[in-house]
Amino acid sequence: MWESEFDGKKLKFHLVAINNQNFIMQDEETGTWWQQVSGEAIQGPLKGKRLTQAFHDELSFAIWKREHPSGRVLRPDERVRQKYEPANWEEDAAKQPVVTPVSPNDKLQPRALVVGIEINGKAVAYPQSAIEKQRLILHSVGATPLFILLGEDNKSVRAFEREVDGRTLEFFVKADATPLQIVDAETGTTWNFSGKAINGPLVGKQLKRVAVLKDYWFDWKLYHPDTSVYILGESLKQ
Amino acid sequence: MILPILILLAATSVIIVAIPVFVNMPFKPQTVAGVEWSYRLRRFSPLTTAVALILFLALCVRLWQGSPWQIRLTMTLLLAVFISFIWFSRQNYFEWAFRPLPNPDYAAIAEATFISGSDMVLAVEINGDAVAYPVRHIAYHHLINDLVGGRPITATY
Repeated sequence: MWESEFDGKKLKFHLVAINNQNFIMQDEETGTWWQQVSGEAIQGPLKGKRLTQAFHDELSFAIWKREHPSGRVLRPDERVRQKYEPANWEEDAAKQPVVTPVSPNDKLQPRALVVGIEINGKAVAYPQSAIEKQRLILHSVGATPLFILLGEDNKSVRAFEREVDGRTLEFFVKADATPLQIVDAETGTTWNFSGKAINGPLVGKQLKRVAVLKDYWFDWKLYHPDTSVYILGESLKQ
Repeated sequence: MILPILILLAATSVIIVAIPVFVNMPFKPQTVAGVEWSYRLRRFSPLTTAVALILFLALCVRLWQGSPWQIRLTMTLLLAVFISFIWFSRQNYFEWAFRPLPNPDYAAIAEATFISGSDMVLAVEINGDAVAYPVRHIAYHHLINDLVGGRPITATY
């Protein structure tokens, strides 16, 4: 999700090529080629520049519509409707070949799903399988304490900073709460999946969202070669 | 003397257009150099093929007079191949495989019967304007140029 304005100019993009299974887009205005996943201009007049990310979320429609009751949904293009992916497309995609070299030291399969976070040049990949097992992972990326949270649909993943008003909090999932709620150990405040405090001493406060990218391991590694990988049950780094 | 030159001109243009197609296959690896050459060839092939065509036609005119029908037929066939590759050099064939969505249209949640609760969406909210792009749709289109909350954005997947 990219801001299309660059240097005061509004750019219009087209799919133009593929680069190791991540696509390249071209803007009509300068003809520059931009890598989709990184937003970096790799060929053309603006080579070396980067697009600005627009903060986005990847989640189930059920949770999104609950949080945005007056939101709007993109309609399908009727002309190409039969070309859209079937509901189980991710299973088929997982079996597709990978073209970039696989390191024998890799603990993860190339097409393993990971949730990637990068803050100030530090990158961490959290395997989807680990997130599904733990539901809430307390961690840090570089100097930023954060936590990863799996929604009650067992698919939507969000990350939030743990610092509130200068204090770093520890969170855990509230038992038997529907929809999903979490509680912080320090104040006992209850928070919802949007990171909003709905009950308790910090009621009304909003946790700061951290941008995450749901990606295949091979693609995350290609663009973040120094990434570390979260291991299930790893102790919290402070 | 002239005919080999005509063949060479036509063949060069075919190669200029064909190289990026073969470099950019989805399930083959790409190198940085490969991407760079694809960019250059695709950017300059419309111009270079047009120049080559002008040379080609000029030589054809020279050769046409007094040539036997076999030579004239060969020239005509070469010209047909040449023109089709020139036309191809100006196409964005990636958009043939994945048609773009130039005029996105939206439904309010109540009307969104084409999507179920468990389907994933790519969501963005700017200035209070919340938009959801169903992943199954955007996985096909790959990118959508849009305006959300008054800001131009490009949704990509």
